[in-house]
Amino acid sequence: MGKLGRTDIFEAVFWLLIAIIFFAFSFNFNQPIEIYKFGATGWPRVILFLMALVAFGNFYQAYSKGSAAQEGRVGAKENDEPIEYTSKGQYIKTGMILILPLLYGLSLKPVGFYSGTPIFIALIMIAWGERRFRFILTNTILIYAILIGLFMLVLNAPLPQGNMSPFYDISAFMLKTKTQLDQLF
Amino acid sequence: MIENFLAGSATLFGDPFTIGIFIFGVLGGMLFGAIPGVSMLTLAAILLPFTADLSPAQGVMLFAVIYCTGTYGGAITAILFNIPGAPENAPTAFDGYPMTQKGMAGKAVGAAVLCSAIGGVASALVMMSATEPLAQWAIMNIGPPEIFALVFFGLAVASSVGGRTIWKGWLSVLFGLLIATIGQDPVGGINRFNFGYSDLAAGIAFVPAILGFFAVSEIFIQAEKNVSGKYSAPKFNVDFPSFLELWAHKIAVVRSIFVGFFCGILPGIGATLAAFMGYGEAVRWSKNKNEFGTGKLEGVISSETANNAATGAAMIPLLALGLPGGALTAMMVAVFQMHDLEPGPLVFYNSPELIWIVFAAMFYANLSILFVGLIETKTILYLLKIPFQFLAPMILMLASIGAYISRGLVLDVIVMFIAGIIGFLLRRSGYSIPGIVLGLILGKIGEQNFAQGMQMVHYDLGTYFSRPICTILIVAGVLTLLKSLHSAFFQKPKTT
Repeated sequence: MGKLGRTDIFEAVFWLLIAIIFFAFSFNFNQPIEIYKFGATGWPRVILFLMALVAFGNFYQAYSKGSAAQEGRVGAKENDEPIEYTSKGQYIKTGMILILPLLYGLSLKPVGFYSGTPIFIALIMIAWGERRFRFILTNTILIYAILIGLFMLVLNAPLPQGNMSPFYDISAFMLKTKTQLDQLF
Repeated sequence: MIENFLAGSATLFGDPFTIGIFIFGVLGGMLFGAIPGVSMLTLAAILLPFTADLSPAQGVMLFAVIYCTGTYGGAITAILFNIPGAPENAPTAFDGYPMTQKGMAGKAVGAAVLCSAIGGVASALVMMSATEPLAQWAIMNIGPPEIFALVFFGLAVASSVGGRTIWKGWLSVLFGLLIATIGQDPVGGINRFNFGYSDLAAGIAFVPAILGFFAVSEIFIQAEKNVSGKYSAPKFNVDFPSFLELWAHKIAVVRSIFVGFFCGILPGIGATLAAFMGYGEAVRWSKNKNEFGTGKLEGVISSETANNAATGAAMIPLLALGLPGGALTAMMVAVFQMHDLEPGPLVFYNSPELIWIVFAAMFYANLSILFVGLIETKTILYLLKIPFQFLAPMILMLASIGAYISRGLVLDVIVMFIAGIIGFLLRRSGYSIPGIVLGLILGKIGEQNFAQGMQMVHYDLGTYFSRPICTILIVAGVLTLLKSLHSAFFQKPKTT
């Protein structure tokens, strides 16, 4: 197996899978373009071919020389110190930090910005390891107030309102209050 | 030229409202550039509808000022948090962030302030004196083959400086190029890789992808360090670089001004490639190549001089040819159009006062980077004292708003978080995030110009080599690749 690690094999499989899947999907738009000989698939297929080729090069490099950084590679230093997981708890905590923002993004359409944001801010702090209730509460309120003050009141930026009750009603209340404030000043 | 410049300055400073807009642009650009998670593009997207109420000169001037100061502001977050405010600040993080980790944040930010101002002012002066002849030269000598060749050279440079190995550098760039193919193809408008989602027909927008790969992935990296108990707060330091330290890099500054200006003048290329090329050239000409990426002041200087030198130059194709060089200059075209104007050669004859107020404003905006930047820097360094438990949700929220505002699509927020997760996993394995982003930005430009170029030369690739600029760039790109391949096969790995 040379100097190959499990990650190197996983990486090779990952890149080859991407190349194969995208190549298969490229048949969905494999139509000729009258004014351009190479059509819509020419450019992406060259990229996919090069990706597969370079993935082999990457695999060979790992096989013959291991995964250490080459001399003179910029920005490689921080990656030379991989973080080892020693317990299941660490996997769960990191997983939560990765998944929580995605769940927030997915909830924006039904829940909206105004209702979902304070909950998300508090959850991220908890996932980060913060357990002081007062710290979480005051900072959630502070961050929420800064965001609302800057984007809603000062810059009048349109933010997602949600489409599910009662979240939509909360957004409507916030916007109504803002309009009333605008009329006051 | 001097008369026109003075007239422009008089118009700019003769009206209190215009002065107010100028100051708002200077402070807004710096602030939005320096807040991790949002960027000058977020501010520009929010302000775009309001420019309808301004005069055309005020509207374009506001965006030009935001462009100059925002390009500098993005360096601050790149240096302090490893989160570039804009793609053009990505190479700044290569050495800027290691400097922060070593307790040299003040030196890095100080150098960024000074070099951004020098690059910007030099660029503004050349822009004022030579917009028309340079535009003429560009029309005569630069066509799709040259732009494609420059994109190829830029990607070769990006792949050879980022990532743990040359292979990972190239895979990063290719991954960015692949993401750029999602959406309509630039020649026939055929939908590619939309996987049945109609929102993907417009492609992956730059802003959410960039926020995800840079800002969100950095939060995840820090979170992982926190979980494993390896997180350490960056060291606080306000020492500015001395005059002698900066003087030692005078050649790097001059070289980056030339590189930045050349990249900026080419339509569609802009400041991002300028920063990468400026950095790449600094590495190429340095006697101590291995020190780059470990916290070398020259890395920050080269990148920041080049990207600000590109801001003035990017106005040349915009104003003289009507061709934007990046996302923000594209928004300037929208400002023109909102006032029933079309940027192009006629603007110089129909609206000279607009041109000169913009030129004067850009000159003063770059000067103000020096003065406001130096005052602001000491305050901004205190950001390092804010606990990350507070900063992390703040950055994630600002990034969500930044991603959403540009197109008003929740999909963009989701794309941003997915890009964040992918970026986190790829960074852990030694791939280059700036390489992915550069591939993403230059992918469409490269494909479009390759297609136009091939049609132009009737699919005869040999004709590319009858064009001197094109030949030089392609040969330079190939040599860069061969050199990195040689080191991949014949160099021993790092023994750290």
